[in-house]
Amino acid sequence: MSEQRVEAETATDAAAAAWLLVLSSVFLCNLLKILLPSCSSVISKLLQKDVEQESQMRSDIQNMKQELATISMMDEFARYARLERKINKMTDKLKTHVKTRTAQLAKIKWVINIVFYILQAALMISLIWKYYSEPVTVLPSKWLAPLERLVAFPTGVAGGVGITCWLVVCNKVVAIMLHPFS
Amino acid sequence: MNSEERISRIMGFHRPKADDDTHSETKLQLEQDKSTIPVPSVSKRVVLGDTVCSLAGTADHGSSAVEHKGEKKDLFNIAPEVGSDGTTELRQRSRGDLMEQRTPQHGLDQYLSRFDEAMKLRNQLMSEKPSQENGNAAEEFDSFRIFRLVGCALLAIGVRAFVCKYLSIFAPFLTLQLAYMGLSQYFPKSEKKTKTTVLTAALLLSGIPAEVISRSMDTYSKMGDVFTDLCVYFFTFIFCHELLVFFCSEAP
Repeated sequence: MSEQRVEAETATDAAAAAWLLVLSSVFLCNLLKILLPSCSSVISKLLQKDVEQESQMRSDIQNMKQELATISMMDEFARYARLERKINKMTDKLKTHVKTRTAQLAKIKWVINIVFYILQAALMISLIWKYYSEPVTVLPSKWLAPLERLVAFPTGVAGGVGITCWLVVCNKVVAIMLHPFS
Repeated sequence: MNSEERISRIMGFHRPKADDDTHSETKLQLEQDKSTIPVPSVSKRVVLGDTVCSLAGTADHGSSAVEHKGEKKDLFNIAPEVGSDGTTELRQRSRGDLMEQRTPQHGLDQYLSRFDEAMKLRNQLMSEKPSQENGNAAEEFDSFRIFRLVGCALLAIGVRAFVCKYLSIFAPFLTLQLAYMGLSQYFPKSEKKTKTTVLTAALLLSGIPAEVISRSMDTYSKMGDVFTDLCVYFFTFIFCHELLVFFCSEAP
C-alpha cells in the first residue's frame, strides 16, 4: 500500500517537473548552439594531429629564407639556387598541407553542426511525443481565458499548458536571456 | 543569363537566338551612325520614345533596354535614313510603332524603375551590413525594450500574487501594453534603420510602394515586440506559480 503511494507521489513529481524538463532542454540546446563554434574548433584540433608538423615546416622555411638572405647570389649561385629550389618545394608542400587541413576542418565543422541539429530535432520531437496528450503544467482554466484552448493545444485539457506553447515561450525567453552572450 | 536578359524575358521581349547576330550588327551600325549624325541623342530619343525620360538617370539600363528590343529592329535599321533624309520620317514611323508598343514599353519602364529601387536597396543593405553587425546589440536592447521586459516580468509576479484570483491573466497584460503605447513617446527613439531584407526587395519589385512596406514592417516589428512581451510575461507567471506551488506544498 505504501509502495503504491510512493509510486504515485513519484509520478506526480515527474509530471510536476515536466515544465522544468522542457525548459532545461531548451536552455541546453540554445547554450550548445552558442558554444558550437568553439566546441567544433576544439574537436577539430583534437582530431588533427599534424598541426605540429605544419608549424615545423613553417619554421624550416623561415630558417632557410634567413640562410638564403646571407648567401650572395653572385658568389655562390649554385648553392643559392639549390636552397631556393628547396624553399619553393617546401612552400608548395606546405600549401598543399594547409589546403587539405582547411578542407578537413570545414568538413569536421559541418559534421558537428549536422549532428547537433539532428540531436536537437530528435530531442524536441521526443519531448513533443512524450507530452502530446498531457500538459506540462496545469493552471485554473479561468486564469487563461479566453486563450485556454490555444495554450492547452494539443492536449485539450482545460487550463493545461501544452507542450507547443511552452516550447515557444521557453525558446523566446531563453533566446532573450542568452542574447548578451551570443 | 544576366539581369537585363531576365527583365526582358519577364516583360515578354523574347528574342530568337538567330536574331542576336543581326541585332548586334544593327547596334554596331547605329553606333557608327551616331558618329556621323550631328545630334545622336535625338535619334536615340526617338527610338526609345517616352522610355528615355525615366531611363535617363540610369544609363546602363537605358542601353540595356535598347539592346534587348528585338521588335525594334526595324527602327534600328532605318537609322541610316536619318543621316540622309532627316529625322521627320523616322519620327513618323517610330510614333506609329510606339502606339502599338506603348503598353509593354510602359510595363518595362515601370519594371526598370522598380528594379533600380531594388538595386539601390541592395546597395544600401550591403553598406549597412558591417555597421549592423557592430551595433546590433545596442540596437536590439535599447532602454525602452529593457523597460518593457522588466515591466512584463514584474507584472507577472504581481498578477500571480494578487490579481489572478479574480480575472484572466491576459487582462493586466493588455492594459500594460496599452500603457506602453502611451509611454513609448516619452522614451528616446533610437534611430531605427529600416531593415532591408529579401522580403522588402521582393515586395518592392512586385510594385508595392516603399512607404507601405516600411509601415507594414514597422507594424510587424511592433507585433513581434508584443509577442516577446507576452512570452516573458507568461513564462514569469508560470515560473512564479510553480515556485509557489512547490514551496507551499513543501511547507506543511
